Amino acid sequence: MSKVETILANMKAVAANPKQAIADAQAKTGKAAVGVLPVYAPEEIVYAAGALPVGCWGKATKNISKARTYLPAFACSIMQSIMEMELEGVYDDLKAVLVSSPCDTLKCMGQKWKGKCPVIQFVHPQNRNLESANVFLVEEYKLVRKALEEALDVTITDEAINKAIDVYNENRQAVRKFLEVAADYPQVIDPVARHAIMKARFFMDKADHTAAIKELTAELEAMPKEAWKGKKVILTGITAEPDEFLEILKEFDIAVVADDLAQESRQVRVDVPEGDEPLMRLAKQWQNMYGCSLATDRDKDRIPMICDMVEKYGADAVIYCQMKFCDPEEFDYPLLYSKMEEKEIRNLMIEIDQQASSFEQIRTRIQSFVEMF
Amino acid sequence: MYTMGIDIGSASSKVVILKDGNDIVAGEVIQFGTGSSGPQRALEAAFEKTGLSFADMTKVVATGYGRFSVEQADKQISEISCHAKGIHFMVPTARTIIDIGGQDAKAIKLDKRGTVSQFFMNDKCAAGTGRFLEVMSRVLEVKLEEMADYDSRATEVVSVSSTCTVFAESEVISHLSNEIPKENIIAGVHASVASKACGLAYRTGLEEDIVMSGGVAQNAGVVRAISRELQKNVIVAPNPQIIGALGAALFAYDEAMKAQ
Repeated sequence: MSKVETILANMKAVAANPKQAIADAQAKTGKAAVGVLPVYAPEEIVYAAGALPVGCWGKATKNISKARTYLPAFACSIMQSIMEMELEGVYDDLKAVLVSSPCDTLKCMGQKWKGKCPVIQFVHPQNRNLESANVFLVEEYKLVRKALEEALDVTITDEAINKAIDVYNENRQAVRKFLEVAADYPQVIDPVARHAIMKARFFMDKADHTAAIKELTAELEAMPKEAWKGKKVILTGITAEPDEFLEILKEFDIAVVADDLAQESRQVRVDVPEGDEPLMRLAKQWQNMYGCSLATDRDKDRIPMICDMVEKYGADAVIYCQMKFCDPEEFDYPLLYSKMEEKEIRNLMIEIDQQASSFEQIRTRIQSFVEMF
Repeated sequence: MYTMGIDIGSASSKVVILKDGNDIVAGEVIQFGTGSSGPQRALEAAFEKTGLSFADMTKVVATGYGRFSVEQADKQISEISCHAKGIHFMVPTARTIIDIGGQDAKAIKLDKRGTVSQFFMNDKCAAGTGRFLEVMSRVLEVKLEEMADYDSRATEVVSVSSTCTVFAESEVISHLSNEIPKENIIAGVHASVASKACGLAYRTGLEEDIVMSGGVAQNAGVVRAISRELQKNVIVAPNPQIIGALGAALFAYDEAMKAQ
C-alpha cells in the first residue's frame, strides 16, 4: 500500500467509524470529548480546555423514529438524526455539547437537548458588520468559556486559547492547500475520498489531522498530473452526504474540484485573525466569514464567489446540494440559479437527505446532467 | 434496420421498435413497471405484433427507472434525454416538455436542436404525479380513464391544497363526506397536479411550444388544468406514453449509425 493509499484508508476509517476514532484519540491523549453541532462554533476554546472537539453532523441512513416526538417532520435530516442519537444516548459520554443558533431548527435543538451531557448554546450576531456585533459575540464566548470550565473542571487561559487558535489556523491553511492540490488529482482524490478527508477532521485531534493532511498533500504534489476525461464540478450546500450520492458522481466520472459545503470548505474558509484578546479574535472570525447562507450578507457575495470558483477551477458545472428542508439554502438557490443561467454555467440542484435509502432519482438526474454536455 | 427502445417506468413498461430511425412499427405499453412482469410482456407484445425478435434489433437502448435491469440493452440513457429526443422527433417545435409519469414529474427545456439545456424533476414526493391520481381515483371510485370526463362536467374547481398525497387523500374524503360533486373534486385534484407540474415548468422559462408527454398527458383534465395555470397552449404529444421509449429507439438508431 502506498503512503497516499494508507492515509486515505485511515481517513476513510475515521470518517466511517467516528466512535472508534474518538476512542482512539482519547486513548492517545487522555482528552475528554466535547460535541460541536453544526455549523460554526469556537472550537478553539474547547481545544484550549484540553478537550477533544467532536463534530456532531448526524449519521447517514440512520433510522429515524424517536426523534419524531420532538421534531416536526420538516426539520432537516441532520437534526433528525442528531435528535435520534440524543435520545439513544449516543452523546452521553460527551462532557458537553456546543450548539450555535444560525437557523430556526438549531435554535430549538439547543433549547430541547435530550442528551445527558450539558448543552452550551450560544448565538452568533447576524448584524455582523457592526463593531458591537463583536462585543456581543465576545460576551457569548465568555459564557461558552465559563460553561466549559464548569463542565470540564478546568481553567481556560487566554494563552491556551491563543495557542489553540494557532493549531486551528494551521489546520485550516493545510486543508485549504490540500484542496487546491487535490483538484489536480481527481484520479486519486475521488469525491468519496475527498469527503472522508474533510469529515475525518471532525473526529481527529486537529494537530494530527494537520500532520496527515500535510503528508498527503506532499505525496500528491510529487505525483505526475494526469488529464481528466470526465467532468469537473463544484459542490455547494450544507453537506453532500450520504456517500451513495458521491459514489454516483464517481460512477459517472465526475470529479469534485472545489466545494462550498458548510460541512467541508466553509469550515476552513476564514482564519482567526491576529490580535491580543483571543475571544475578540474568535469573534472577528465570524465577522470575516463570507459566502455562507447562514451568515447575513446583504451583498450576497456567495453568488459571485461560486461563479468565480467555476472559472478558477475550470469546472464544467455546479451541483447545488440542497439539504431537504434547509430554509437558508432554499433562499439562496434562486439567486444563484439566475446568475448561473445568465453566465451560462451548467448547474444542477440535487435534494440531499442524509437518511435517503433510494438513490435512483439522483442517479437519473446525474446521468441526465452528464448527457447534457 | 430495426432499433429498439425500452422504457421501464415505475408504473408501466413501454417498448418501441423503429424501422430505419423513422417508422414506428411497434409501440407497446403494459401498465406494470419495474420489478414486475411488465417489461417482459411489453417485449412479447412488440415481437408478436411485428414478428421480429431481439436478433433483428441492430441496437437496443433502455431508459426509465428500470433501465439498468435490461440485459439485452446495448446502452442505458436517462429518461430526461430520451423524452427530449422523442418529443423533438414528434414535435420539432417543442421548447418545453412537461412529462408526468407514475412517480416522477419533469420539466425539460430544449434548444432548437432538441438538446436538453435544463431540466427539473419533482423531489421525493408522489404529489403531482400519476401515483397521486391513482390514489385519488381509488378514493373517488372513478376509473383513471374516466377522470377527464368527470372534470369536463365540473361547475367549480374545489381546492385540494395539501402538499402531501396522504393528507390530500383525507382532504378529498372530507369533500366527499360534505357531498361535494365528484366532478368538482376531480377538477380540484387535476388542478393540484397541474400546480405541482407548473411549479417545475415555470423554472424553465416556459418557451413555446409547450408539449406534454408521459401517461398523465392522456388525461385531458390535467392538460386543461396545466394550460389554464400557465395561460398557454399545451400540445399533447401523439401517443404520449411511448415518448421515452421512442427517444430510446432513436438513440439506438444513432448508436447503430455510429457503429457503421
